[in-house]
This record gives sequence, structure tokens and C-alpha cells, in this order.
Amino acid sequence: MQKKVLLYPLALGLALSPIFANGSSEAKQEGPRTVKISVWTREGDTNHWRADLAKEAAVDLNKQLAAEGKDITIDPEPYIDGGDWGGFKKKYALAADSGEAPMIVISGHEDIATWGPAGYIVPFGDSVNAVEKLAPQFSDIKDNLWHCVTWNNKIWGIPQDCEARPMFFNKTLLKQMGWTDAQVAALPQELADGSFTQEDLIATAEEAVKKGVVKQGYGYWHRPLKGGDFIQFYVTNGGHIYDAEENKLIIERDPLIKCYEFQKKCVDTGITPKSYIGTEWNIWHNAVANNQVLFFNGGTWMWADWAKNYAKGGEDALFKNIGYGYEPTGIKGVPGTTLSHPLAYLVSSPSACGSKDQDLAFRLIGLMETTERNTRHAVESGHLGVLKSQDTYKTYEDSKFLSSCAPLLQNNFFQPNHPMYGIWFDSFWTNLVSAEQGEKTPQQAADDCIKTMKADIGDQLIVR
Amino acid sequence: MKKGKRVNVAYWFILPAAIIVVIYFFLPVILTLGISFTNMSSVTGFSAWKFTGFENYLKIFQHPDAANIFASTMIYVALTLCIFNVGIGLLVSILAYHLPKRVGGFFKSLWLLPRITPTVVYVLMWTMLAADAPYGVINSIFKVPFGLSTSNLIPAHAMLFCVLVNGYIGASFGMIIFSSAIESISKDIMTSSLVDGAGFFNRARYIIIPQLRWPLLFVTTYQTLSLLTSFEYIMLLTDGNYKTNVWSLWAYHTALNNYYGNFRYGFGSALSAILVVVGIVFAVIYLKFFKFNDLVKEPLIDEM
Repeated sequence: MQKKVLLYPLALGLALSPIFANGSSEAKQEGPRTVKISVWTREGDTNHWRADLAKEAAVDLNKQLAAEGKDITIDPEPYIDGGDWGGFKKKYALAADSGEAPMIVISGHEDIATWGPAGYIVPFGDSVNAVEKLAPQFSDIKDNLWHCVTWNNKIWGIPQDCEARPMFFNKTLLKQMGWTDAQVAALPQELADGSFTQEDLIATAEEAVKKGVVKQGYGYWHRPLKGGDFIQFYVTNGGHIYDAEENKLIIERDPLIKCYEFQKKCVDTGITPKSYIGTEWNIWHNAVANNQVLFFNGGTWMWADWAKNYAKGGEDALFKNIGYGYEPTGIKGVPGTTLSHPLAYLVSSPSACGSKDQDLAFRLIGLMETTERNTRHAVESGHLGVLKSQDTYKTYEDSKFLSSCAPLLQNNFFQPNHPMYGIWFDSFWTNLVSAEQGEKTPQQAADDCIKTMKADIGDQLIVR
Repeated sequence: MKKGKRVNVAYWFILPAAIIVVIYFFLPVILTLGISFTNMSSVTGFSAWKFTGFENYLKIFQHPDAANIFASTMIYVALTLCIFNVGIGLLVSILAYHLPKRVGGFFKSLWLLPRITPTVVYVLMWTMLAADAPYGVINSIFKVPFGLSTSNLIPAHAMLFCVLVNGYIGASFGMIIFSSAIESISKDIMTSSLVDGAGFFNRARYIIIPQLRWPLLFVTTYQTLSLLTSFEYIMLLTDGNYKTNVWSLWAYHTALNNYYGNFRYGFGSALSAILVVVGIVFAVIYLKFFKFNDLVKEPLIDEM
């Protein structure tokens, strides 16, 4: 009997212990606590603000939290990865699968379609309106950019920066060929309205080589390594990549052949060096920034790099020598276009990062996205602004390069948010290299590209 | 010690190594095989995947690039193995043996330089050697002065460069093994061959190489398996372009590293599993060719 008397309170105590334990845990959560918010991205140098803005944004957020009477301190941990995009994405995916992902990751918008269904990231909201309520700065995002962070009817990211990928041309070399100032000044408009085509580019560059204005193979240089730039020549030949209604990728044979023919013709006419793909980036930057190449296509962010690291005479020399406009069309009369590839702030899910403080991450992003901070990143890195307020913001307006590039966003396009897009692109690229190298004819390369896409992508591909 | 008891003791000695082999070699193969029957990818994560049976394998056999990639792999492995890993490895070790010891040692240590150079730096040196003029050394020295047209040499001779870049590293492995094996050949035999009038070539042909059957088997097998799965130098040099995409690089790009970040672990594992099978087939062929059973016969003297 005595034993029983002792056992009842013991059992009751054991039964209630989790309740007390929970209670004390709750009490702990209400006490002072520090929330570590890691912010991952890649590319340092001129792009370091992408992550480093978290430090000053956290100071503001800590003040706001204190004013609200919350005993929470944000401890930001910016991290800039020095590897390539593939390695960075692998690092994030593996970290997310092991529950050790950073709470904020800044990566390409196309990752949303992969990381969303994997459960690595959480949506900001079901609509733009809902997202705009999370932080006042989100109402300032340019309307067309919401499209590229939308997937499956939800908003999964906040655009961090944007760019155009223009066709650059060397004004000084064009004048040496006999072009007048007026002709040079009119070229951007001709690229925009489709009156200066890819054929015209080849003919002009060929003439420059023949006249000895540039060396053989220095008439036109595309990007020397794999990258999204090349799909601009598929799109400017009438190609489509994505059917939003069916949520399927598209490959079209005729535009693909024309795209590959353009690349091959550049080599055949001697305006692009034979065996050119694989050239070191520093060789490429040095040549294009110092008046050795007539036409070259790159991204706006390269301007900042050239000014800082390559061009003799800095940005003044660049303005004197180099002009830019849309990528030329493959079809006369159809306007030229440019690819934009915004990076976006994405927020990891609780299972991916081990934290349930996503609301604080949203707020921190809002404070990283102020007009002054985003402009600082844009101006230093050569990226275009993502905020409406930047159009009239003095620092942004004072950046002659950025303000002159802004009109390029009137006719730009984005890559699709589709999980198989990377596979689509790999096949497109591999066969482009084969066509340019002469390993396959453009027709063979296009057919092989379509065959590979069919095998890899299956029923998520529309072939036309 | 009786033979049965001796065998039991041998099992105990082999146990620690066997445990390591099972944990680090056998289980990963089983895991790879398991994943190869799923649709696991970045999209499914490690939790929402499904079994898809032989779908990945069917996709490989129907893939338009599979035959070309397999052919590139075989060409790359065969050339690197025959010319460098075994051929030059053997040649350097025999030549060095016939040189004065210090000179031979210096000669051999030169071949170790590529192996101790960091991979990225080593490949960067090759890319700068092969770059177009005025940046590339080969073009600037051997083509420009003679008025010859220049270009980036790597895309034009991609497989050759892949073999050279890998070969200069791989040769040193064979060289070390063969050198130590030559040193262990009985001095009596080596000296008596000279007394009998054998020249350099005859001594190499009839004395040294027959004595190296075991190290030859080891180097050939090990380096074949190593080359089948090595891709890092090719990735840095050409990233698989210009017909240099080898099977292991295909698997790596599919499963772990591609430009837009959807990693297909299931499909990549199926590609890796095929590589495991190819490796086993090669190993069995080598064991038969080099008469492995004869090599591991118990010495008759112990039975007396």
C-alpha cells in the first residue's frame, strides 16, 4: 500500500513532466535569443554586396526588433562562394538535404523550379500583394520582375539584381573602317528595330578583317565558355523555350538550325577564331576591353570589371571606345532582344536550414533591398536596378552606364522556371559547340540536340 | 603450423582491411545501384523519390550520345594507359636504372613534378601553353615566327591534350612501382645477363620485363580503373567539349554539377553503375591475360 502511495505521484509527475518541460522551453523562447541568419551567394569582388549587405541590414533589423520590444538579436553570416555556379548549387542542395542550408540563398531565379518542389525553399506568398505586405520595400520591385520569381502560382523569391546582355561594338574600330559618327550613333537603334541583323554583323566584321582594322578572328567574339548568352541567338531567330500554359519546354528545329548556322558562319568567315571556345576569360576580357575586337557580346556586369581590372584608361576609355545595343536579330525587321537573368533572394525551409525564423529572413531581405543599398550593389557591379525608385534615384541616374542600359529592359526575355531547363540547355550547348567546331553540320547538330532533349526530357518537351 | 590453422590466422589478419573494403567500397556500390533504380534528383530531394525500375538504364541505352561518350572513354583510357601510365612509366624506370644513380634519381623526380603541382595550376599551365597567340607559348614560339596561322590548340586537338595532361601525371605512378620492382630483381641475374653479352634492349626484353609481370598487372589494372573514373583534368581542360566527354564526366555532370543545378542522382548513379561493370570486366580480362592464378601460386618450397 505504501508502495502504491509513492508510485501514484511518481507516475503523475512523469506524465506531467513533458508539459512542464514544454512550458520551460516556451519560457526560454520568450527570453533573449540570437537568430543566426546565414546568407550565401557566389562571386565576390565587385559583387560582394550581394551578401555583405546583410551586415548593415541586420543592424537596422535589430533596432526595429528592439523598438518592437522583442528580445531577439539577428546575427548575420554573409558567405561568398568562390567556385562556379554548378558547385555552388551542389553545395546548397547537399546542405539543404542535411538540414544545414543557410536561411537566405541568393541564386538564379531558375533554381526556384528545382528547389521549390524539393522542399528546400519556402514561398514568400501566394501573390505579389501578399508578398508586398511582408516588407515595404517589396512594393518597390519592378512589376515585370515578379514574373521570373513566380512558379506554381506562388512567389518564391525577391529579385536581387538584373542585367542586360548587349551586343557591344567598338566605336573607334568602326570609325577606322570609315563609319561616320552619325552611323555609329545610329547602330543601337538599328539593333533595336531589327534593321541591323546578324548577317549585317558578319558582313561588317568580315570587312573589318579584310581592311586590316582587326586581326583575322577578331571581328566577333561571343562568350568563350558555356552560358545563357547563346540562347539569345536561338530566340532572335524566332525560337521559343517555354510554353507557360502547358508548363512544358519547347525546342524548334528551324530557329535552332539558324542559330547554329550563325555560330558556324562566324568561324567560316574568319571573324571568330577557329577553335575559339575554351579561351581563358582573362584573355577575352583583356582583348575586348582594349580595342582588339569589333563586336562582342557579354553582360552589363562585365563593364564594371573591365573598368576596374582590364581597360587601359578605365571607364572613360570604355565610353570613348565601346558602344552597346540589343543582340541583333536573325530576321530582318524583327526587333533585337536581350536576355536578363535576375538573381533572387530565396529563403530556406525549416527542414532545410533548421530554423523556423523565416519571417525574420523576409524582413532582413527587405532591409537589404533598400534603394540606397541595392543601388550601391548595382553601380559597383554593373547590374541593372530592380526597384522602381532607382529610375529617379540620383546615384543610379549618375551612373552613366546603368542609366543608358536601362532602356534595354524594354524588350528583354527571361529563361523559364522549369526543372528540366538545365538539361534542355546542356543539350543546346553541347551541340552548338559541335556545330561551331565543324564536328557536325548545323542540321546534324540540331537533330542530335532534339534527339537528346527528347531522350532526357521526355513528355515535358514540345518539339516543333 | 598446419595449413588449415594458417588459413584461419590469415582471415583474422585480413579482417580489418575487409571491414574497410566493405564499408567504403562495397556498400557505396550497393548504394549507387539502389539509387540507380530511382528518380532521385534535386527536384525530389532525398525524401520524395520513387523507384522507377530499369528506366534510367533504358534511357542510357537509348541515349543518342551514349555510344559516342563510351567510345571517347575507351580511346582516352587506352591511349593514356598504353602510352603513358604503362609505356612511359616502364621506359623511364628502365632508362633510369641504367643511368648513374644520382642522374637516374633526378630524371625520375622530374616526372613527379606534374603530380605534386596543384591540379588547377597544372591545367592552367597547359591552357596557357596551348592558347592562341600572343598569349599561348606554343603558338608564339613555333608558329608566329614562321608566319603560320595560329589558334587555340586545345579545341583542335582536344583528345591529344587530355591524354597528355593525364598521362604526364599517370606515368609517375607506374615509374615508381616499376623502378622499385627492377631494383628488387636479383643482382646475380642482372649481372650474369651482362656477362652473357646481353645489351640494353635484350636485358630489358628478356630479363627485366618478364620479371615485372606482377607490377605490370597491378599498374595496368589499377590505372585502367583509375582512368575510367577520373575526369577532373578533362573537366578543367575541355569540360567534355570537342568529343572529350568521358563516361565519368557525364555521370558527374548529370548527378552533381551542371550549369542550372538540377542534379539527377538516379540517372547519374545508373551511369556510374555501368562504369563499375565495365571496370569489373576489365579487371577480369587482365587477371586472365596476366595469368593471375600462376602469379599467386604458393611457393613449392613451403610445401616441402
